[in-house]
Amino acid sequence: MQDLLILLAQQSINGIYLGCMYVMVALGLTLIYGVMNQINFAHSDFVTIGAFIAFFVASRVATNWLGLPDTAGYLLSIVFAIGAGALLGLLINAAVFAPLRNRGDELRPLIATIGVSVLLENGLLAIVGPTPYQFDSPFSRELIRLGRIFLTQQTLLVIGFTVLAVGALYGFLKFTFLGKALRAVAQDRETAGLMGINPALLIALTIVIASALAGGAGAMLGPVMVLSPFAGATLIVKAFAVVIIGGFGNIDGTILAGLLTGLIEVMTVQYLGSGMTDLVVFGLLLLTLAVRPTGLIAERREVNV
Amino acid sequence: MKHWIRTALATAVLSASFTASAQDKVIRIGVIVPISGPASYFGVPAKQAMEMAVDEINKTGINGYKFQLQVEDGACSPLQSTNVVKKLIDEYKPHAMIGEWCSDAALAIAPIQNAAKIPTINVTSAAVRLTESGFENIFRIFPHAEMQNAHLAKFAAEQAKAKTAVILYEKTNAGLDNANAFEKDFTAAGGKVLAKIDFGKDVNDFIPIATRVASLGKVDALPTYGLEGQVLRLTQALAQVGATKGGGGTGIPMGTIFLPYGFDKKAGPSSVGYVRIVQFDPTEKRATVQNFVNAFKARYGANEIPSHIHAHSYDAVMLIADAVRRGGTTSAGIRERLAQTRKLELTTGFITFDEKGQNIDPSTMHFVETNPDYSWKSLSF
Repeated sequence: MQDLLILLAQQSINGIYLGCMYVMVALGLTLIYGVMNQINFAHSDFVTIGAFIAFFVASRVATNWLGLPDTAGYLLSIVFAIGAGALLGLLINAAVFAPLRNRGDELRPLIATIGVSVLLENGLLAIVGPTPYQFDSPFSRELIRLGRIFLTQQTLLVIGFTVLAVGALYGFLKFTFLGKALRAVAQDRETAGLMGINPALLIALTIVIASALAGGAGAMLGPVMVLSPFAGATLIVKAFAVVIIGGFGNIDGTILAGLLTGLIEVMTVQYLGSGMTDLVVFGLLLLTLAVRPTGLIAERREVNV
Repeated sequence: MKHWIRTALATAVLSASFTASAQDKVIRIGVIVPISGPASYFGVPAKQAMEMAVDEINKTGINGYKFQLQVEDGACSPLQSTNVVKKLIDEYKPHAMIGEWCSDAALAIAPIQNAAKIPTINVTSAAVRLTESGFENIFRIFPHAEMQNAHLAKFAAEQAKAKTAVILYEKTNAGLDNANAFEKDFTAAGGKVLAKIDFGKDVNDFIPIATRVASLGKVDALPTYGLEGQVLRLTQALAQVGATKGGGGTGIPMGTIFLPYGFDKKAGPSSVGYVRIVQFDPTEKRATVQNFVNAFKARYGANEIPSHIHAHSYDAVMLIADAVRRGGTTSAGIRERLAQTRKLELTTGFITFDEKGQNIDPSTMHFVETNPDYSWKSLSF
C-alpha cells in the first residue's frame, strides 16, 4: 500500500510538471484567441525558437563569452528567450498578421500563421541543421529527494515559472490600465475603439505577450524536448487539445485543462501504457466537445480574457 | 555551297549523336531520404555522403558511365514517400534507387519500386518484412530487427546474466519488430520480460515512463528502440530514476544501430554501460574505413567525423557502382549484379545478399559498451 501511495505521489509530481509545460505553451494560444478570435499555428515555432535562443545563450554566450557559471547562464538564457519571443512576435505581427488583418478577412491571417510556421521551421533548419541538440539545464542534474520521492530542481523551476507567468498575466489583465484595455478589446473591439483605445496596438501587445510566453516556455522546455527545428510540432497538437478542453480563449480553463491533461497522461502511462496517452487525451477532447462544447469552465467568450 | 551545307549537316548530326551518347552514359540514382520532420537528421548527412561517393566515382567514371543523383524528401512519412517515389520514377526515370530510410516509409514504397523494377538499396530500415515480402528488387545492407536482437538478447541472457527485461520502443514498424525480436530471443534464453512499453514520436518528457519502469521492481536489461533524440532523453530519464547503471542502478541500457557515434557524449553519465550494436566504427583500422574517414575529413573539415548514417549512404552508392563495374548498366542489369553480390567490402563491413536481398554478412554488426569516459569498449558475442 505504501509503495502504491509513493508511486501515486511520484507520478502526480510528474503529472503536474508535464501539465505546467502544457499550460506554458497553451497560455499564449488561448490569449491570442481570446483577444483576436484567431488561431495561431506558428505558436509552437515560437516555443522552438525560444528553446534555441536559450540553448545558444546558455551554452555559448553566457559561459564562453561572459564567463558566467552554468546556473546563472541558464537563468540569463530564459530572459533572452522571453525577449527574443516578444521581439519575434512584434516583427511578425507588423510584417504579416497586421497587414492581413487590416484587409478585414479572417481566413487570411489564419492561413498566414501556417505559412509563418513553415517558414520558421525551414529557416531554423537552414540555420541550425537537422541534428537534435543536447540542451542540458544545470538544474536537471540536481535531484531533490523527499524520502523515496524525487524531483529535479528543473521540475521546481518549471512549476515556479508557470506560477509566476500565470500570476503576472492575471495581475496585468486585472490591475493594469493596459490589461483592462486589452480585456475591453477582447469584449468588443469596435466599442473599445470608440472609447479611445487603439485596438491595433492592443492586438500587437497581445501577440507580443503570447510570443514572450512562448519564448519563456521554450527556455523551460528546451532541456526536456528533443531539440530540433521541428520540436514544436510535437507540442502544438497537445496544446490545442488543452485549449479546446479548457475552452478556447479561457485562461482559467486552459490552466485547469493543462494540469488535468498532464496528470491524466502520466496515470495513463503508469496503468494503461504510454501508447494509450493520445487515445485517452483526444478521447477526453471529443467528450468535452460533445458534453461541454464551451470547455471545462464555461463562460461567455467576451469575458474570458 | 552545297559542300558547306553537307559538311555543316554532317557535323551537326555527329555532334548530336556524340552528345546523346554522352548523356546516355549516365547512371541515374533516385534517392528518397527524410530531409524534414523528426528524422531529418538522417537527410543532411546522407546527402553529404552520397554526393561525396558520386564525386569520387565521377572523377574517372565506371566503364564510361558517370553517376547522377536526384534527392527527394520522404520525411520518414509513408504518404509523402509514396508521392515522391511515383514522381521520381515517372519524371527522373532512375536506373536504381536508394531509400527511404525509415521502416514505415520504406515498407510503403517498396511495392511501387518493385513493380517498377527499379533495383533499390535500403540502408537503415529494421522492419523484418521489407526483405521477407518477395520483392526481388529490394536489397538491404542493414541487419534487420531479428538479426540485431538475436545477439543483443543472447548477450543479455548469457553474458550479462540478465533475468528480467523491460522493452521500450517507438510505436513504429521498426520499433515493434525490434521489441518482438528481443522478447522472443530473450524469453527463449530463459529471461522474463516484465513489460513492453511503447511511445509515440511526440513524447518529450520520459520521466513518467521511467518512473513506471522503476516501479516494476528489479530490471536487469533495458533494450530501447527509437531514434536518437528520443532515446537520448529516455536514457537520461532511466538514469534519473536510478534504473540503469549510469544512474547508479543495475539495469543495462541496450540499443541498436540508430544511435550514432557521439551519442554517448551527448547523453553524458547516463550512457555509461550502454550496450549496443554499431554498424560503423570510425576508429576501425580497416583501410576501407580509414580511407573513407580521411576523404570525409578532407572534404568536410578535419573535425568532422562520419557517422553510420554517412557510412550507410556512401556504401549504398558504392554498391550500385560495383554492380555497374560488373556490367550492370540498366535497371535489370544492376538488379542482377546486386543479387550476385558476395563478400563486397564496404565501410560498414562486407556485403553478401541472400536470395531475399538481405545482407547476411555478420561483419556489419559490431557490439560495443560505453566506458565511463564515453569511449567504446568492443564486446565479442
